[in-house]
Amino acid sequence: MAGPYRQGRLGVTLERARAHAEGLDSRTHDEIQQLRFGRPHEVLSEIRAYLLRRSEEMNTKNNPIKLLRLRQTDEAALIVLGPAIDKGPTPEHFHFDSGARLSFGLTLRGVDGASKLVSFRYHYQLPANRTPEFLRFDLNDAPDADPLSEPRCHLHPGLEKVRIPFSLHDPFEILDRIFFVLEKGL
Amino acid sequence: MPEFLSQPSVEIARRLELRGGNAWIAVLSPPGGPALALDELRTELRSILQISARVLPLGTATFEGLREALQQPNDDAVLLSAGADLTPEKWSSLDIMRSALERTGPVILWLAPNDVANLTQFAPNIRSFIGGSIFIAAPDGGIMTEEDRQRRVKELEKQYQLTNGEIVRRAESKQLPPEPHFVEWLVLIGRGDLV
Repeated sequence: MAGPYRQGRLGVTLERARAHAEGLDSRTHDEIQQLRFGRPHEVLSEIRAYLLRRSEEMNTKNNPIKLLRLRQTDEAALIVLGPAIDKGPTPEHFHFDSGARLSFGLTLRGVDGASKLVSFRYHYQLPANRTPEFLRFDLNDAPDADPLSEPRCHLHPGLEKVRIPFSLHDPFEILDRIFFVLEKGL
Repeated sequence: MPEFLSQPSVEIARRLELRGGNAWIAVLSPPGGPALALDELRTELRSILQISARVLPLGTATFEGLREALQQPNDDAVLLSAGADLTPEKWSSLDIMRSALERTGPVILWLAPNDVANLTQFAPNIRSFIGGSIFIAAPDGGIMTEEDRQRRVKELEKQYQLTNGEIVRRAESKQLPPEPHFVEWLVLIGRGDLV
């Protein structure tokens, strides 16, 4: 049911939509500043343990110990699984029983014996002939000039140029959604 | 000294998980960077076993203090770090009180390779209890190789039709779109300072 009339309510403009999107990005930024994780090698260890546990529950064989890789420099740390660009199945992907596959990249920055989130991308490629072809959860490292089209934390619903904002999830919560929601729903 | 299996910390933690409960194992520190290796093993124990893990130095602890520390709490993972200062007398005393050290959580004896001889000679009960579960801590296999790093950079160069130099130039002039791939690219080429 429509709410009571307020001045300007029926005249929502592109500018107002952008202002709302900026507000959302600003809240996302604040949340990121609050989030802290263990040191990068500890995060790698936790993700590996998570994937090992999930692998034990699956029929498809994966070896997360070999799949996960860490590159650490003084300024930042990168945790990756699978190729940077999904161009088809590879042995480096994490493969699901459904035929779907996962690749991801997670960048962290060390702060005071812990680390904070810089960016991530989780690319879940659905099995062949399924629609959408993929879902990708991205966190950008900074706000875009056009936060309406490019929200800082967004989902690509199988379309490279379409980005739907979603609430900030930590790296494990994204995996939870992939393993317990997307994969179960196929 | 017999040949012991060299295993990354994650594999040692998984073996301990399979053994379950109050297992005792011994892990020999690698030749270089024993402190780092100990930290890695502690991290893996926490991740794989999903319990807290702490290090207790054997050399400086009184046995009463050690017994108390092992029981409070008694269900976490404890790494007993032997160190070079553990005398034959202390090994013998530890061996005598072995049953007093029993607990619900696992115990990992962290030894220098040379300590195995002392363990065998002066603490035969503990040595027997550990049995064949002696491993050498190997480097963590999760570090990206140079080959992998270069392959990933090439993958990104091909996808975006840009060079490393162009990426750096754009990042320095704040012209790089804020996307995860470009962040990864900068970290891969050692310019995480631009992120």
